[in-house]
Amino acid sequence: MRRTDIFLYMMLVIVLGTSCIKNFEPDILSSDAKKYVVNGQVSSGDSIQRLNVSLTSSINEPEYIPVTGCEVNIYDNLGHQFEMTDAGKGDYTSIIDPVYFHPGVSFKVEIRTLAGDILVSDYDSLTQVPPIDNVYYQRKDIERSEPGDFLVGIQFYIDLKGTQTSSHYYRWEVFETWEYHAEYPLEWYYDGTVHHVSPPDFSRKVCWSTRKLPNIFTLSTTNLSENRYDKFPLHYVGNKSSRLAYGYSYLVKQYSISEQAYNYWEQLRANSNPEGGLYEKQPISVKGNMHDLMHPENDVLGYFGATSVVSQRKFIKDVPDLVLDFNTFCFPVILRRGLREIAPSEYPGYLLGDEFGYSLVLLNAECINCLLLGGTNVKPSFWPF
Amino acid sequence: MKSVLLFFLLILFTGKGSAQGPEKFIACHIHNASFATFADYIKQQSGVVLYYQDAWTKNLFVNIDEENITVSDAVAKVLKGSGLEVSVWNNNLVVLRGEKLIDTLPSFEHKAISVDSTAQKEKALTASEERYITGRMADAIQTLRIGKPGGSRSNAKAKVLGRLLDEETGEPVSYANMYIASIETGAVADANGFFTVFLKPGSYNAIFEFLGYESSKYQLEVLSDGSFTLNMKRAVIQMKELVIHGDRQMSMQAKDPGIEKILMKTIKNVPMMMGERNILNLSALLPGIVNTGEGSAGLNVRGGGSDQNAFYLNKIPIYNTSHLFGFFPAFNSDIIKDFSIYKGYIPAQFGGRLSSVFDINTRQGNLKHITAHGGLSPITGNIVVEGPILKDTFSFIISARTSYSDWILKDIKDPDIRASSAKFSDFSGGLNYDVQKTQISLFAYHSHDHFRLSNLNDYAYSNDGVSFIYNHRYSNSLHVEYALIASKYKFNTTDKQEPTRAYEHAYELNHYEAKADFKHILTDKNALDYGAGFVLYDLDRGDVKPFGTKSLRYLVPLGSDKGLESALYISDSYDALTWLTLTVGARYAMFTPLGSKTVYTYTPGSPRDVRYINDTLQFGNNKPIKWYSEPDLRAAVNIETDAYGSIKLAFNQMHQNLFMLNNTITIAPNAQWKLADYHLKPSQSNQVSLGVFRTLSKIGLETSLEFYYKHTVNYPEFKDGADFLGSPLVETAVLQGRQKAYGVEFFLKRSSRKLEGWLSYTYSKSLLKIDGEQPFDQINKGEEYPANFDIPHSFNLVLSYHLSRRLTFSSIVVYQTGKPITYPVSVYYVDGVPVLDYSSRNAYRIPGYFRTDLSITLEGNLKRYKLAHSSLSFNVYNVTGRENPYSVYFKTVSGKIRGYLYSVIGVPIITATWNFKFGNYAAD
Repeated sequence: MRRTDIFLYMMLVIVLGTSCIKNFEPDILSSDAKKYVVNGQVSSGDSIQRLNVSLTSSINEPEYIPVTGCEVNIYDNLGHQFEMTDAGKGDYTSIIDPVYFHPGVSFKVEIRTLAGDILVSDYDSLTQVPPIDNVYYQRKDIERSEPGDFLVGIQFYIDLKGTQTSSHYYRWEVFETWEYHAEYPLEWYYDGTVHHVSPPDFSRKVCWSTRKLPNIFTLSTTNLSENRYDKFPLHYVGNKSSRLAYGYSYLVKQYSISEQAYNYWEQLRANSNPEGGLYEKQPISVKGNMHDLMHPENDVLGYFGATSVVSQRKFIKDVPDLVLDFNTFCFPVILRRGLREIAPSEYPGYLLGDEFGYSLVLLNAECINCLLLGGTNVKPSFWPF
Repeated sequence: MKSVLLFFLLILFTGKGSAQGPEKFIACHIHNASFATFADYIKQQSGVVLYYQDAWTKNLFVNIDEENITVSDAVAKVLKGSGLEVSVWNNNLVVLRGEKLIDTLPSFEHKAISVDSTAQKEKALTASEERYITGRMADAIQTLRIGKPGGSRSNAKAKVLGRLLDEETGEPVSYANMYIASIETGAVADANGFFTVFLKPGSYNAIFEFLGYESSKYQLEVLSDGSFTLNMKRAVIQMKELVIHGDRQMSMQAKDPGIEKILMKTIKNVPMMMGERNILNLSALLPGIVNTGEGSAGLNVRGGGSDQNAFYLNKIPIYNTSHLFGFFPAFNSDIIKDFSIYKGYIPAQFGGRLSSVFDINTRQGNLKHITAHGGLSPITGNIVVEGPILKDTFSFIISARTSYSDWILKDIKDPDIRASSAKFSDFSGGLNYDVQKTQISLFAYHSHDHFRLSNLNDYAYSNDGVSFIYNHRYSNSLHVEYALIASKYKFNTTDKQEPTRAYEHAYELNHYEAKADFKHILTDKNALDYGAGFVLYDLDRGDVKPFGTKSLRYLVPLGSDKGLESALYISDSYDALTWLTLTVGARYAMFTPLGSKTVYTYTPGSPRDVRYINDTLQFGNNKPIKWYSEPDLRAAVNIETDAYGSIKLAFNQMHQNLFMLNNTITIAPNAQWKLADYHLKPSQSNQVSLGVFRTLSKIGLETSLEFYYKHTVNYPEFKDGADFLGSPLVETAVLQGRQKAYGVEFFLKRSSRKLEGWLSYTYSKSLLKIDGEQPFDQINKGEEYPANFDIPHSFNLVLSYHLSRRLTFSSIVVYQTGKPITYPVSVYYVDGVPVLDYSSRNAYRIPGYFRTDLSITLEGNLKRYKLAHSSLSFNVYNVTGRENPYSVYFKTVSGKIRGYLYSVIGVPIITATWNFKFGNYAAD
């Protein structure tokens, strides 16, 4: 719970829980002027430098609108120039030799769009990042509104130990990968006639899903007496998901950033986690360090920064004293009237069975195909199990 | 009167020539003698012994000039107006207070009823019954003789100082009216019940009237300068029987535009929320005043910020006016006599805030006998005890109020709330000494709130104050008031949600004030007010300290602020023509921030930021840091268009040296007050207002229409995401710009009828422009934007229907335009995560606010003489259960942007309250 929620909570106490939160669709004029959005960084520690150029979209119909065909160059304050190449979908990449990266060097980007705009960033200077000290989790139950009703799971933390020379501003990104299983291999199916796959097809039984957590984790140690922080909370994984069932891996990337970059990410974080409530700060139109030289009156959103990054990957299998209770999305149905209950529009209908025969139990596709839940059946290269 | 008649009959029988004892004619020429001297003289001249009590007559000075007068007439004349009566007893005279000896049984029926004997007291008469019985005796009015014969110079007007007291409690009747129809002259009593009129010697028929009192007629016989005291009798039943003279009251009371005077009596029937009558929320039902929403203590007056209002409780400034974040006022409404809100023309004796002054006065306490009253609701209980220490001169009043609502929290589902507690309490006590021309009062006040949210947060605040006020009338035309005031507001917060960032913070504001206000009535057309005042502010903004062993926070001392505000003012009110009154005033206020302090200066042309500090200035203890001074000019013109209407024009200039640091949509309870300093300049505003007032007396309506335009410079506005706990340097988080506010207020009121109430509508705009030269000195790119409290339309309807004398239904209907808000207008993606881009500041509005409240009050029986009175009331707050928006916010839920509307109260809230008091319905 964030600080600003406190007064919301106090309020709830006072009005004896009469307050409420409901969905609301405001009447918002779709803003006519589209704004450029630039996001990217040079990062000491990454092999490929990436940058993305896009346009904002209307609030009512959110979509990603890439800007392709731009001429993108990165400059450092020592006079070097690094060209980025168009990788499609608004992405631009380049490989910069690590010899150019040392603390104190500043970088900026200049983008020339096909429409003739010139977007430039301020210089952002590179800082040092300390190695990741410790990433770990603890069992944590969160009580919910009904007494005795707990959200059961594990909370991830990171400890930070900065040095004299390292930055005082940090940002973390977390990528999680987990293995999950379809309930059954593909063995029997019916599409007018019954087919037997032998041996059973296990190729879509085991999948891996990877995603970047949308949370923004930022920390400034400038108000702390040491450049150190214990038990900074990252994300929470509950027992209602299959993520902890067969193996869970997470990659934590620790970035050292400049003060300006911290302010940008902190504002973005504050804006993206509003809880409503009483004494909430006003949302802010977050401004980064990008400018449009051709049309200075137009805002350019996003931030181009220089960072140093270190990362650490961890694996978890079997959390002790955590009983999982997750949904497999597999819902077998008994065919009381035989196979003719399966309508042709539903073909093929998957059937429960073993090597000796099938039974009159219809399986939905999720029972035999893990790809349907969004993952891939190609084992990631880092997967240890 | 009757015994006088009898007495004359007796004289006729005994024969005039042989008059002896009290009927003996004597010559009487006595000047400025004590009553004892007078009694000796009488005994010496006539042999008649006067029996009296020294205590009653010790303040009486005898002035009599008669060549040939009977002894009893002479005594009666001397006692006129003192409340003492003389009766014949065994050929001697007895002086008694307020009654005569009954020397014979009443001879006919009328007489028996009008004699105020205890046997008759049980049967209270309604005004109409009384009128029926006494109707034919209307001419039998009492004469009040003022001054002494020959004391006046030929045709010059005499200065008459009158005082109106409540017959039952001895307390002054504030703001009562005196009106002399024949010469169209009147006066309104001040808070201590005093008024001054200028009258040529002669006889006048005067009417004294006030809401809740029987209007009384007296003949004023003015001989020379003089004074008199009059006891006003309470009307037993206020409803129906009271004749209203709204026209006169209005034109008398509201000589200045934009003043609202509210008497507690007038709001007895307004619905209550949670069993308490919240006078601050009630004032938000008046035109030009809006409340920022449930859960906010702030009021916005005429488009001003909520820190632009000054609240004084018996002259003690109250820096946090509410309990429980605005649901209850921080003082017990039961002890409040009246309060005035100045928002248009603010008299020169007030300064220091831009928008308004809320001047709240408590009752002095019953001077006759001890009494108590109180109330109980599921959440709070309160009690008031008052009474005399010395009868008729020295009284006390004590009030206490506390909440005991924690038991309700135990049933709430949320675990954090179950483990929480919310408590408040307040106490006040007053001592009042009142002898003739001197009133001395000592008032002390304490309020305390404590809030604990599970084991995450502790928050407590308190107001303490004491005021000592000495009022004295040096003459009938010179009144002075000296006041010494001290007040302390403090809060402390302990935040332990995250052990490594846990902190505690304590804040304290001390206010010391001394002032003298003179009111000099120069002529009957010209009154001069002048005075001086000093306020010393001493703010300790406190240290933000790490809390617990795990906290890694730095200790951040937010520093302290000290400042001296010195003011001189003079203001003159002149009745240029019978229909034209001009008031012109000036207030010269100087504000001096004082050391000790370390001030940083910043490189010119760069933002005020720690990175750009170029110099450090050290100021020693009590050394002036800067001098801010500018005169405030005030002017008002009051034009009486006819007997039923007036037009009022005003120009008002104000300065403000104390601001609230607040960057949230409404006032957060831990917002700090901050003085103007080296960087932060006092803000200044100019307001022009025009009001048209009219009474439609036939249908009992009062109406007004007012316009205003206000322009403020150096309005402090906080930068995006300003944090007032991380750094002591407020100047790095604040920009100063201009504010513009204008609007129209309409008011329609019906009072003292079976169906009464009011309707108010306000159109108001409040716009800000922060347009420094550099982009970093701008907000919203330097373009004008609506302030957070810009609420253009506000409509309030307050209605009470008296079904019977004991049963009253009342309702409140409130509508307001939604507050401005910054909405997300477009979406973009950062690493595949959608992010919202927001509109320019406050470009949109949340939906409007609409609420209906109902209340039923059942009064106990209306017997006039009974030990105790109680009433029951049932209140429903937000009858329609409308989920009124408090704020709107947006969240990304599974890749889609969803809007949410947050309501503080989304259901009807029903409360039942039992109120009791000793005395009858009308007793305070």
